[in-house]
Amino acid sequence: MNSVGKSWLLLTGLIVFYIIYLLFGALVFSSIERPVEEQLRRDMDALKQEFLNQSCVSAASLENFLVRVLTANKYGVSVLRNSSVTSNWDLASSMFFANTLVTTVGYGHTTPLSDTGKAFSIVYALIGVPFTMLVLTACVQRIMYPLVIAPVCLLQRSGLEPRPATVVHFVLLLVLVVLCFFLMPAAVFSVVEVSWSFLDGLYFSFISLCTIGLGDFVPGTQPGQKYRPLYQVAVMVYLFVGLMMMYLLLRTFHKMSDLHGLTSFLQLPRCEDSDVDEDREPIVDEDSRTANHVTEKTASRHLDPASQPSYNTINKG
Amino acid sequence: RHVMAAPDLLDPKSATHNTKPRLSFSTKPITLTPREESEVVATVMKWKTVTAIFLLVVLYLVMGAAVFRSLEQPHESAQRLAILSQKLEFLSRHSCVNQSQLEELVKQVVSAIRSGVNPAGTLTNHSSLWDLSSAFFFAGTVITTIGFGNTSPHTEGGRIFCIVYALLGIPLFGFLLAGVGDQLGTIFGKGIAKVEKMFVHWDISQTKIRVISTLLFVLFGCLLFVALPAAIFKHIEGWSALESLYFVVITLTTIGFGDFVAGGSEIEYLDYYKPVVWFWILVGLAYFAAILSMIGDWLRVISKRTKEEVGEIRAHAAEWTANVSAEFKETRRRVSVEIYDKFQRAASIKRKLSSELGFSPAPELTLPRRTVSVNFNDERDKIERDAGLQGLTTPLTRNSGLYMNGLDPERGDISIIEHLK
Repeated sequence: MNSVGKSWLLLTGLIVFYIIYLLFGALVFSSIERPVEEQLRRDMDALKQEFLNQSCVSAASLENFLVRVLTANKYGVSVLRNSSVTSNWDLASSMFFANTLVTTVGYGHTTPLSDTGKAFSIVYALIGVPFTMLVLTACVQRIMYPLVIAPVCLLQRSGLEPRPATVVHFVLLLVLVVLCFFLMPAAVFSVVEVSWSFLDGLYFSFISLCTIGLGDFVPGTQPGQKYRPLYQVAVMVYLFVGLMMMYLLLRTFHKMSDLHGLTSFLQLPRCEDSDVDEDREPIVDEDSRTANHVTEKTASRHLDPASQPSYNTINKG
Repeated sequence: RHVMAAPDLLDPKSATHNTKPRLSFSTKPITLTPREESEVVATVMKWKTVTAIFLLVVLYLVMGAAVFRSLEQPHESAQRLAILSQKLEFLSRHSCVNQSQLEELVKQVVSAIRSGVNPAGTLTNHSSLWDLSSAFFFAGTVITTIGFGNTSPHTEGGRIFCIVYALLGIPLFGFLLAGVGDQLGTIFGKGIAKVEKMFVHWDISQTKIRVISTLLFVLFGCLLFVALPAAIFKHIEGWSALESLYFVVITLTTIGFGDFVAGGSEIEYLDYYKPVVWFWILVGLAYFAAILSMIGDWLRVISKRTKEEVGEIRAHAAEWTANVSAEFKETRRRVSVEIYDKFQRAASIKRKLSSELGFSPAPELTLPRRTVSVNFNDERDKIERDAGLQGLTTPLTRNSGLYMNGLDPERGDISIIEHLK
């Protein structure tokens, strides 16, 4: 198997492992949080019953009632009669939660209730966040060639100078991303979600893809949502691909500003990839070994993101 | 060091993954090379840039806070008045509550919560969620992409402004984070270089020095940016230890759920509390970016190691055993010859001196200290040098077995064996 095929296999393996990691997180969250949620739900029912049994309501008991309702609501447990019985911690929702954790979006519409859940979240995030970044980087490297390098070469061959070619390409890419990942999903969300307008959908897309994740809009949390698990999985995929496209945009922009001398003007580090062999760059660098023997000089050497000689040198002594 | 790749400065989170770890000083050489001077110059220039960008960011935040406040506060007051009147109405009709009324109340409560207003407790002294310092905090959570969500814009204008604000603010913050990370890395790197210089005298291998310095960095940073703030939050906010730690991690990885927010509850806070928290977030984010990129490195390394290790270990082992046995034989032969020569010569010198001076104490020869290197060629020379400068009338001593001192052929052999091991 040639090296290109091998790197594709590696990428596939990485993605598969990433999905497994998400599933694993979902399972753990589900098993930890579900019992606590059930307990909280039962408490809310008892509280409501107790309130109804009272003939007269005093201010103090009302305050007490309100405080407890609000605390429950903060964790996503509704006390209303027509709220659906679907749990916030079934498998699809837990996976959605795990996804928001590792992509660092962090909506907060459901949060771990138990202490164990919180402790697990810490560890899960500390490992999952860099791992997700790794996967995203690998994917972006992969799609760099067909989406960036090839079109730019095409533009150059049709007569444009390098600099204008990159600008034209970047603008085209920007328009494409905005159309496909902001406007279209906003339209879809405004149709599927009952109470969202188009602006709400756009706002949600933007806040999610920038990984801000305020959490005031979260798809699939309305009561009575049809096909909820499928919907949540679809949103997860949308988030991942959207994030990838954002990174691609950023990378393209950085290379473009490199070419135009902006980065050296602002005294910022340059984008270190060479254009020549970038499409042949494997995700896991196979020639980093040559870098390891030059320990003192690695600092000044051009590093591509995939080769990380620092810890290799530790391992090799 | 500043030439290293950090391709996507514009996104604060990509600083964690896409680059040579900015704060990792693992490839920093132990000895100062001439390159260091030019690095120092570049650092000085960047410091000014960082300060300028920092001021720009603060200005941007203040501007954003003012705009958010003017957009959101009227809406918030209207909501508060509505919920208050609802509550009073309910209380006046409290004899015999039926379920539909209860549902209505709860619905109102929930929608009030979504607007960010807490109907429980007295509303008169309730501090606004959109006063200047809170709005500043909110703007900070937007451009750092943490996004707690305990307050969020509810007007259409507020939301549109939020989008535009984030579009400009996030790259800006990315630059700032890059700069802060560099400064942090420089400070740590200088400290670690000093420590490493000390270690050089102790004959510890370079690998161990790097590992130790990495550990120091991690531990010290954890203490400063994680443990200390967690203790402070525990004390001021009244959270448990786990909740404080959970908040610190969730915030500094920019996940930001919002179930716990420093400065978000009803306690009376000191005036400078929120700005200090924001400053901590800024520096802590840079630290966490380094930590996360380190973890990412390890994941990469682990994935590579399993591939390389098998073939490599075999190759190394074979090479090493071959080298060692060759060296051993050669050195043993040479040293024993030299020892004998030196012994003879020193003995004759001693005789001559004692006869000339008329007394017997022999001149002491001090032994130069030497570091251990992994390179076999150097060791051969060192052994030669060692053997050539012996004070032979001093009793045979060994200095931690690392190099030879003093000698008779049998003891010399033993220390060589220990050395080569």
